[in-house]
Amino acid sequence: MAEVERFLKDMGGKIHAKIEKKGRLYFNVDNADIREIAEYLFVKMGCRLSTATAMEMYHGIEVLYHFSHDKTGQYFCPRVVIKDKKNPKVNSITSIVEGAIWIEREMFDLWGIEFIGHPRMEELLTLHHPNPDLKHPLRFKEVA
Amino acid sequence: MKANKIPVGPFHPLLEEAEYFELTVDGETVVDIDMEIGWMHRGHEYISEMKTFTQSIYLVERICGICSTSHPLACVHAIEDIDNIEIPLRARYIRSLVGELERIHSHLLWLGLAGHFIGYDTLWMWAWKYREPVLEMFEIISGNRNHYGMMRVGGVAKDVDPEKIVELQKHLDMIERKMIMISKIAKDDPVLRSRLKGVGVLSHEDAIAYCTTGPTSRASGVPGDVRFDEPTDAYDLVDFERIVLPNGDVYDKLVVRVLEIIESVKICRQCLDKLKTATGPILNNVKEISPGEGIGRYEAPRGEVFHYIRSDGTNRPIRHKVRAPSYVNIPSFKASCKGIPIADALITLASVDPCYCCTERSLKIIDNNHDPQKLDLLKLSREKTERIRREINAD
Amino acid sequence: MGWYNKRLSKSLWVFHASGSPCNNCDIEILDLLTPRYDVKRLGIKLVGSVRHADVLLVTGIFNQKIAPRIKRIYEQAPKPIFVVAVGTCVSSGCCFKDSYNITEKREEVIPIDMYIPGCPPKPESMIEAVAKLIGVLNG
Repeated sequence: MAEVERFLKDMGGKIHAKIEKKGRLYFNVDNADIREIAEYLFVKMGCRLSTATAMEMYHGIEVLYHFSHDKTGQYFCPRVVIKDKKNPKVNSITSIVEGAIWIEREMFDLWGIEFIGHPRMEELLTLHHPNPDLKHPLRFKEVA
Repeated sequence: MKANKIPVGPFHPLLEEAEYFELTVDGETVVDIDMEIGWMHRGHEYISEMKTFTQSIYLVERICGICSTSHPLACVHAIEDIDNIEIPLRARYIRSLVGELERIHSHLLWLGLAGHFIGYDTLWMWAWKYREPVLEMFEIISGNRNHYGMMRVGGVAKDVDPEKIVELQKHLDMIERKMIMISKIAKDDPVLRSRLKGVGVLSHEDAIAYCTTGPTSRASGVPGDVRFDEPTDAYDLVDFERIVLPNGDVYDKLVVRVLEIIESVKICRQCLDKLKTATGPILNNVKEISPGEGIGRYEAPRGEVFHYIRSDGTNRPIRHKVRAPSYVNIPSFKASCKGIPIADALITLASVDPCYCCTERSLKIIDNNHDPQKLDLLKLSREKTERIRREINAD
Repeated sequence: MGWYNKRLSKSLWVFHASGSPCNNCDIEILDLLTPRYDVKRLGIKLVGSVRHADVLLVTGIFNQKIAPRIKRIYEQAPKPIFVVAVGTCVSSGCCFKDSYNITEKREEVIPIDMYIPGCPPKPESMIEAVAKLIGVLNG
């Protein structure tokens, strides 16, 4: 598809480990580049941020953004991998995409990923939760 | 002047679900709004990792009672996206039929509630009266009024027999006549028009910035509709129109929904006609899911439902992300509620058809003496409608 | 209490509190008020404040955040109040029983007088439950 080729041509240097499927493009980016990629996708190409998924794998914590190009139905999914599981930090894209505020707050709430530059970094779902032990419930539990 | 804060919720007569709003007001005008959610959080994403793929379809059905086809449909799309599984033709028609019937019943439900919030209970009773035949159609197709359990990976669970098609067409004829009547009521009623026109405007730029989806964005002139953008199931085999309106106020959101009901009836009719001739199996047997990741989406009545599933080759997903449409539509209150009178805040809050059960898959009660005036939003909203009604009748 | 209950059964006023359900029971409860089922003909009315209510309808699994609020709503209600639990969620936890956010013993949050099973219960079964409740009140 023309959009994918143009995107890969412009941003090719910042993209690693890309997986291409029908209508989907998954690729890894460095934490330092995520804002530039998001700006290119959201502002220049007119994509919509569907959501972002956080997940904990053995090699680290991943944040996978889903940008939807509505005119063609193509999905662009940049992935940021954080090796530091104890204290994960990612650059926030809220200055570019207003709609990412809740999405990033939820990831902080359930996974404990801190987003640098977020205007209001606090819990979304478990704000004022009566049970103080329930912190970042979707992280792996340490087995004693 | 010092701004006052009005707490609303978590239990209040506005919506069935519990949620907490904090309106900052200056005199009669809303200056800012803050929302607190989490009262409905049930941890679906966590539970889903303990279930097999087949079980997780039943689990996501129970994310929300109104979108109980959209979530399973997006979930099976995500699983099918991992392996590019083909679906039989007959199953595609049945999937779209159930999905569109759900859109009719959900939009009618919203129309009725919107009428209730502005003190127009007649509209509520009419809309919900004609929602019952739609639920009856579900009962004929699946045996249940809600939570249909129709979706499977690779097809659907139940077939629609030829005798049922005749019965369904009779129901559909009746529904179409009544829907045209209701759409005329909703579009031509002078009270409804002057009450909702220009209220709670969400501008085109804000709709894009907040990444809103569904009728909320289509009423603001953003044309996104998953049924056209990425046609799955039978949507590339039937004719229907994309409804987009430019103004972004509550009235446009109402008209978008009303026109979409008529389009949905059209799609249902075509699906039923095609089901008479399209023969073949309804389910492809899927033995195993290979490792990989898949994205599935479906245009639910409220917007785009998004599911992301990652599989490692076993029979359980290692990550199942759900994003419901209200989750991106609710933050847009910050844009649409600013600068409107308190009496209009209620219908604006209801205009995106918020579904907190979806959003939170995932309020605190503030004492009444905290708020000296004990403002009742529902009462204020109804009084304004009554005022407009009297003015119109006086002319 | 018998005299009072008999008067109460003529017209039950109902408050509806949803404690993290999937919304379906709530919609079916509202459905009862609309022309097909129309429980208003039996004198049943949905009220906006629990202080006016004779019957408290609860749905859902009561997640840990909302459980104290449900308790508080029960405490605010004028007694006697009859608590009717609608749906499978309240009685067994349905498919959410493995969740980290569920209240394990929902009957310890508030005392529940009556359970209506079903996911969601059909409006007919809710009407039957109301009829049984009226029968109990009449002695």
